[in-house]
Amino acid sequence: MAGFLPPAERRSSALLGLYAALSLVLLLVGDRVPQAEMRGIGAWVFAPFDRAVLALDRAAAAWRDNRELHERVAELEIENERLRLAGVENQQLRMKLDLPAYRRFTLRPVEVLALAGEPVPSAATLSGGSHQGVHEGDAVVTRDGLLGRVGECYPGLSRVVLLTDVNSAVACEVESTGVLGVLRFAMTPYPRLTLTGVPLTDTVRVGQAVVTSGLSRRYPRGLPVGSVRRIGSDPSGLLQDIEIEPAARLSRIRHAFTISRPAAPEDSP
Amino acid sequence: MRQVVGLLVLAMIAMLLRSTALSSLAARGVVIDVLALATAIWALRNGETWGSTFGFVLGLGADLDAAHWLGRHALALALMGYAVGRLGRTLVRDSARTQFVVLFVCTLIHQVWSAAFEFGGSPGFPYAVGRVALAAVVTALLGTLLLGIVRRMTGHPLFGHAVLDSGSSN
Repeated sequence: MAGFLPPAERRSSALLGLYAALSLVLLLVGDRVPQAEMRGIGAWVFAPFDRAVLALDRAAAAWRDNRELHERVAELEIENERLRLAGVENQQLRMKLDLPAYRRFTLRPVEVLALAGEPVPSAATLSGGSHQGVHEGDAVVTRDGLLGRVGECYPGLSRVVLLTDVNSAVACEVESTGVLGVLRFAMTPYPRLTLTGVPLTDTVRVGQAVVTSGLSRRYPRGLPVGSVRRIGSDPSGLLQDIEIEPAARLSRIRHAFTISRPAAPEDSP
Repeated sequence: MRQVVGLLVLAMIAMLLRSTALSSLAARGVVIDVLALATAIWALRNGETWGSTFGFVLGLGADLDAAHWLGRHALALALMGYAVGRLGRTLVRDSARTQFVVLFVCTLIHQVWSAAFEFGGSPGFPYAVGRVALAAVVTALLGTLLLGIVRRMTGHPLFGHAVLDSGSSN
């Protein structure tokens, strides 16, 4: 067949054959290729460009953000005062009951350089890496709530597995009732976060807040995850199908904070 | 050499756009398929050899970025680059109508191929169809508009006339 074609066409056909064969090989054995290292190099190459592109976007948003943050700081100062008094009271009560004290989080600010995945981002590149004290497994949050955890850590950058990755699983609880479940991301029937493993007998209501339960040991307890948006029953009829509205706005992430992974079981109640 | 540099620069711009500005839009449900758009435009301008090379390089970058199914974008975009490059010889490439149809079909095929890897069963079918159709229309409209603006700014045709002799393009 190739003999009937002009030389230029033979060359392009051969090249296409090579690309197709390479792609098929990668599809079949791609999981064995050291992708993390290659992504690390890619993230390092793209980081300056990502920063440049984002600088334009962020300069435009800075003025609006500044005004919003001033309002937010004022609100939080009032709220903080109330919580401080409640915290002192809580500490005294825990001491009386011989319960261990809550562990304080240390927040490490980082910038979100890039998002990956369509239609919903499933990973993000952060401006902080092992040199900035970020470690694999650290929880990543925004002021609104949990984003995910650090999946890969490079010297100056890191990659976050977002809650919207299909392989992500977070042990959660419904804040006011203590109902436990595992937060997962599902693509069907449409992309959404669901709280799985909740029996029909447990009471969950629309609008209730969902926080990390701390049971998986990956995330500290009490990080806001989202709120219950819709409740149904799953096809088996044994469990609830609970859809969660994420607390953090995954489509508009600019800055985030990393929280070190909980150390020993005694540290966190 | 000039084409290699151009290929790498355009591939980097496409990847940057995809991971920054367009990812926010995608999260709101409007996917602009910059991979299919860039591959189709590059292949229309440079023919099937460079079209398939560009598609493969860009697709491989996107595959590495996505972390799942290495090779899926590379295969689809390499084939797309080749097909568009071959078709480009006989099409009136500077016609806005032709550009719209080429971009629409390319985006549709690429989105269907990508969605097939995420498809989790019949309950997700209506959403997937809606997403693919919206992406195809938006990308084709935006791409045609972009090419029209560039043509007006440069003041001359972007792709030149169709070459009817099939052996002389590369």
